[in-house]
Amino acid sequence: MIFVRFVLNQSTIWQTEAVVYLAIGATLVGLPYVQRLRGHVNVDLIPLALSKAARFYMYILTMTLSIVIVAVVLFYGYEHWHLAYERNWKSDTVWGVRLWIPYLSIPVGFGLFLLQLIADLVAVLLKIDAPFGLEDV
Amino acid sequence: MDPILLGAIVAIATILVLFSGVSVALGLMIVATGFLLIFDGLRSLELIPEILFGKLDNFALLSIPMFIIMGSSIASTRAGADLYEALERWLTRVPGGLVVSNLGACALFAAMSGSSPATCAAIGKMGIPEMRKRGYPDGVAAGSIAAGGTLGILIPPSVTMIVYGISTETSIGRLFLAGVIPGFMLVGLFMIWSLYSTWKSGDKALLESGNYTWKEKFEILPRVLPFLGIIIGVLYAMYGGIATPSETAAVGALLTLIIAMVIYKLWNPKDLWVVLRDSTKESVMIMFIIAAAGVFSYMLSSLFITQAIAEWIGTLDVNRWVLMTFVMLFLLVAGFFLPPVAVILMAAPILLPIITTAGFDPIWFAVVLTINMEIGLISPPVGLNLYVINGIAPDISLKTILKGSLPFVACMVVAIILLSFFPGLATWLPDFVMGKAI
Repeated sequence: MIFVRFVLNQSTIWQTEAVVYLAIGATLVGLPYVQRLRGHVNVDLIPLALSKAARFYMYILTMTLSIVIVAVVLFYGYEHWHLAYERNWKSDTVWGVRLWIPYLSIPVGFGLFLLQLIADLVAVLLKIDAPFGLEDV
Repeated sequence: MDPILLGAIVAIATILVLFSGVSVALGLMIVATGFLLIFDGLRSLELIPEILFGKLDNFALLSIPMFIIMGSSIASTRAGADLYEALERWLTRVPGGLVVSNLGACALFAAMSGSSPATCAAIGKMGIPEMRKRGYPDGVAAGSIAAGGTLGILIPPSVTMIVYGISTETSIGRLFLAGVIPGFMLVGLFMIWSLYSTWKSGDKALLESGNYTWKEKFEILPRVLPFLGIIIGVLYAMYGGIATPSETAAVGALLTLIIAMVIYKLWNPKDLWVVLRDSTKESVMIMFIIAAAGVFSYMLSSLFITQAIAEWIGTLDVNRWVLMTFVMLFLLVAGFFLPPVAVILMAAPILLPIITTAGFDPIWFAVVLTINMEIGLISPPVGLNLYVINGIAPDISLKTILKGSLPFVACMVVAIILLSFFPGLATWLPDFVMGKAI
């Protein structure tokens, strides 16, 4: 962008918007991947204080809540995207991008996120992973 | 229901949910959605995707992943060790060269990366074994790096400052500048303390440093100077009016990657992949918290909690410094448990109107808030830097690390008090460079 402005001496029309939408897409689609890497920070004070059995149920509870919330966002995210697609919403800039394209990242990202969360829950249920990744001390 | 009472219920629910081990971002969304559902009904949930998307739809946010790439590409190289070695070789005349150069290296490294754990890990990997080899007490060795690492979020570029700037609509350029002098002041305080405690430990020989020939001194420069060049270049681009923080960050990230590839031979796709993967992990985590905190604060204001709290504090009629002390204590406790980004995102929208009505400068507040968050990074139970040090030097017990870093916490408190008496320490530089704020 600095290049366009100073070297080509043009104004940046679509670059800013495109870059922002790309970054949002990358973030939302990155959610499940980061979940797999256990990259979403959490505070495990209560699980640490619990016994092994209680920790197991705590994990099931928190994961179920997470799955529900992600499913809610997925559902409404899909609606939102569908609305934008059907009514052909455009962004109110010079570029006027069709908004369903960036909005698509919400259902896709959260859909994959949902699958990853379910996979993590199943891994713990089948005793492949320890709850919260905490090994017994 | 009375919004204040409701606010208290929300606060308790949030604490319980966040401590349950659920990831911070999802936890915020769980609380927000739960309360919206109960008090506003099903219809309000339709807005959630739009809020998530809208919060991320911000050009300034792009600087976060960019500065993270910049930091993690430096952190993956030996740059930390080189930096520290260079300082050690050049600071031969300074008493206590080793610990001083470690702290200095932390500060310089902090100027290239916006993250505290990264600074801690990069300098600590070389610095701690070296200090222990020369006979520095374990506590001083570990504590100085743990504390020096926290500078990462105060000295620009700082991810924490960017997040504050975005959530309170304050100029990021100003915030960065405001962190500079307090940053140096903290380094100074840290240095004084570590020299004093080394001196007190009795071993006078430690205060002397090694001798290096001029050849050794110059040999190391080519490996350090390019990074210093980047720092200066980034600062110039940002304050010379050439580019916005996000654009500068992108250029900085690209240059750092190239330099890391050329000088440190980071061209192996596998190593590059690790750098990019770690950056993705950190930026997605932060961006998701930003988006989720958007939903959370939407819930707070749509249930009139934010407004009610601000109004309630307005009627309290207490001295503004009493108010500030309470705000600080509240943030301190929050910082003990939660990552700085989460604290800022949750608290800033509520606190800022209160702070500005009481006549405090939002830029000054950002600096004090950040130092406050730094304390949280080196105090239990979730002091991130303590665990980083523990990972680098597993044979120093957490207890020793903690004991070693406690005096540095005191240094930070002193810094906050100094800043309270002389707010100019934070506000002078931004005013000087960018003109007075309107």
